[in-house]
Amino acid sequence: MIDFMDVSKQFTVKKQKVNALENVSLQIADGDIFGVIGFSGAGKSTLLRMVNALERPSSGRIEVNGLDINQLSFSKLRQVRKQIGMVFQQFNLLNSKSVYDNIAIPLRLNHMDEGKIEERVSELLAFVELTDKRNVYPTQLSGGQKQRVGIARALATNPSILLCDEATSALDPETTDSILRLLEKINREMNITILIVTHEIHVIQRICNKVAVMEQGKLVEHGSVLDVFCNPRQEMTKKFVKTVIADEIPESVIAVLKQDQRHHKIFSLRFLGEDVQENILCRINKTFAVETNIVFASVNELQHTVLGIFIVQFIGDEQQIQSAIDYVLKQSIECQEVTV
Amino acid sequence: MMDLGVPNAQILLAAEQTIYMVFVSLALGTLLGMVMAVILVLTNENGILKNKYVYFILNTIVNIIRSVPFIILMVFILPLTKEIVGTRVGTTAALVPLVIFIAPYLTRLFENSLLEVDYGIVEAAQAMGASHFEVVWHFLLPEAKGSLILSITTGTIGLLGATAMAGVIGAGGVGDLALTYGYERLNFPLMLFTVIILVLFVQIIQSFGNYFAAKIRNH
Repeated sequence: MIDFMDVSKQFTVKKQKVNALENVSLQIADGDIFGVIGFSGAGKSTLLRMVNALERPSSGRIEVNGLDINQLSFSKLRQVRKQIGMVFQQFNLLNSKSVYDNIAIPLRLNHMDEGKIEERVSELLAFVELTDKRNVYPTQLSGGQKQRVGIARALATNPSILLCDEATSALDPETTDSILRLLEKINREMNITILIVTHEIHVIQRICNKVAVMEQGKLVEHGSVLDVFCNPRQEMTKKFVKTVIADEIPESVIAVLKQDQRHHKIFSLRFLGEDVQENILCRINKTFAVETNIVFASVNELQHTVLGIFIVQFIGDEQQIQSAIDYVLKQSIECQEVTV
Repeated sequence: MMDLGVPNAQILLAAEQTIYMVFVSLALGTLLGMVMAVILVLTNENGILKNKYVYFILNTIVNIIRSVPFIILMVFILPLTKEIVGTRVGTTAALVPLVIFIAPYLTRLFENSLLEVDYGIVEAAQAMGASHFEVVWHFLLPEAKGSLILSITTGTIGLLGATAMAGVIGAGGVGDLALTYGYERLNFPLMLFTVIILVLFVQIIQSFGNYFAAKIRNH
């Protein structure tokens, strides 16, 4: 459990005060894969680095598993840091040490004996599927492999929390996907809470269950990924969500709709989960004197749940359209009128 | 061997003295320089133990010593030399000014080597719960190793040049041989011979340095 309580942070850059974080309050529950998204400079990395006190707040409290991280003595802080793994965008591996030695470092810092280190490192190498790279040096690895070593190193001491600072931002899409699968596996099999900071919305879509959106040091929106993605309230959130979940009628279709002389209205319908299976449009056509015409449709997967977006033109007289919409709303399908 | 106007034994002794002066002062200077460089890197503005005062004082000391030419430094600290080794002259007496000369020089070189290490490495170390000593010992030094070896190589060659001047306080060595027997006796062949010896020394030191640095860096 990570608890940010009214956290603010000011930096002084060239004698000017910059608010990196402003009154951020946020809770990350055990077992979450919590994503923080924002453009660069939004303060998300600062937020992440406060969890292991690499960065200290100007005001506010941060509690990690019930401990106020900024009130700890240095030796106690070091103990807590060993329970928090961290993965970096630039990997931060030691080029002077082999893959094996890189993963062994945190164990050596714990003065574990070499036999046990050998056992643990072999286990971790197998987990990240790099057993054959054991004696290779980081410069000979690809970006994805380096990040796997970084992850193995972060997991070496069996942490309860894993911090990922733009962990996939230096990787190509395919490698990103394999790293995300690995993170998901870590969360599921080892029950490790993951806090991931990113500017890539599809990282959030792919693995997170909760999301927080940040803009200029402020937390603008947060909640479950399903809620936030289905119902983005803030402009910033809409901007991000739109890039992965399209919900706009193509230009050429709009042109056709504008010329349609019949009485019609256009509605955007959002289905979640099993609702998608039910053929609501077919039932509307049968029940009401309304003709339906799909002008846009997309089906997206979020948190292993399906989100369907249909934009439908309802053609018919006003009263029939209204009854059809009432019917739709009764099915607890979200419905909004769209003007073209 | 051709006649150089001095006994071979004397040439050998001079070479021995040079090697003795270079390596003893190098060992002590490296130790001191490393400690000072680490302190500078840790206490500088972005360091993990940021401390304006310590940094300022140490930095100023290093600058002051570095601005005094070796030959002047050597005679200037003669009383100190007497205090430490009990005599002002001889090969061992030369070690004191040599160490004081080379330590700040190596400090600067080492400082640069350590600063080359990506700051992310230090951050990773801290995130792992490393103590300050562990950050230096397990992260900074291993990562800077290749560069540190090249710094030591550069320092060794600088030291070789300084030993030539140590003849002034009767330290002997190859440089002194060239000056007193080659230059003052107008013995050109001896002069040429010592120059060749010095060039060879430098070549050997540099090659060793490059070899080991490359070996480490090629990982």
